Amino acid sequence: MNAIFAAVFLAAAVIFLLDDPAGFLPAMLAGGERAAALTLTLLASYCVWLGFFEVLQKSGAADALSRRLSPLSGAVFRSGDGAALSLAAQNLAANMLGLPGAPTPLGVAATKKFLAAKNRYAADMLFVLNATSLQLLPTTVIALRAAAGAQNAADILLPTLLSTLFTTALGAGLVFLTRKRCDT
Amino acid sequence: MRYIALLLPALFAALFVYALCKKVRLYDCFTEGVKGALPLAMSLFPYLAAVLILSELFEQSGLSDALTSLISPALSLVGVPPELARLILIKPFSGSGATAVLSDLLAVYGADSYVGRCACVAFGSSETVFYISAVYFAGSRRIRARPVVIALAANFAGVVLGCFLCRFL
Repeated sequence: MNAIFAAVFLAAAVIFLLDDPAGFLPAMLAGGERAAALTLTLLASYCVWLGFFEVLQKSGAADALSRRLSPLSGAVFRSGDGAALSLAAQNLAANMLGLPGAPTPLGVAATKKFLAAKNRYAADMLFVLNATSLQLLPTTVIALRAAAGAQNAADILLPTLLSTLFTTALGAGLVFLTRKRCDT
Repeated sequence: MRYIALLLPALFAALFVYALCKKVRLYDCFTEGVKGALPLAMSLFPYLAAVLILSELFEQSGLSDALTSLISPALSLVGVPPELARLILIKPFSGSGATAVLSDLLAVYGADSYVGRCACVAFGSSETVFYISAVYFAGSRRIRARPVVIALAANFAGVVLGCFLCRFL
């Protein structure tokens, strides 16, 4: 990330310097503004979901759910840490249901626990599963297609589902195959 | 689509009824959970700011346009319409940026055109990789390249497959 940040930042700065020096600061400020606005949006969804997850936890529903999933999630993440596995399983469930804003707090908490236990494999696996789109129903796309006057807004469901299953399988497979190189 | 909307109220109602049966004090419990919202948002904020400033510089400097014309011929080689180059470049950085590009593409080419359908599949089967890596690995000292490269490669392979499937599905 440090290399990408430096490379893109410098390249952009040089282009601005040669092309449009006055546009540099407004462009960065626009980014900052989006970060501020996005943080507020995320904060709003955390208010809802962190409350929900606490009830899920305290009522024992989360434990019941994760106990049922633990043989599977333990194998996927190669971890025996019940609390972290429970968070990771809830993160994957929230991803598949496409609950907006819900997966992030769970994923961040699970990653923290995995990394604290020096289980980089699990952290990488969770990240790749999240970063290859598990969402079963692409609601944003369907809404945009409907707005653009598509004959049948949902007709991209099948190809989308197939390719997202493929990306997730490929990503998980690559993490598994390169597991010996977890440190790089 | 109407049934999807039922999911959320049903999910909350079911959990709250279950929690009441388990004698959970709902108000105390809910507020206890929300306590973590501000610290979480604050801990993610610096990483969001860096990624979004970077994505804005990437777009507005014209770097994105330059790369777009650079990768377009390579995309045609693997069977991806070159019109998708901008979408493929912006998606790893920013979901809202990609949404804007997708609705432009749908407006220009039409939602039912081959390009429009490919764009939808490409959008739906990929994720905001840099954004997620910044957030998920926010606590760790440095973000390692391996998982990010794997995620980017898998997402791109999904775009190629999706465009292929769009020819006959």
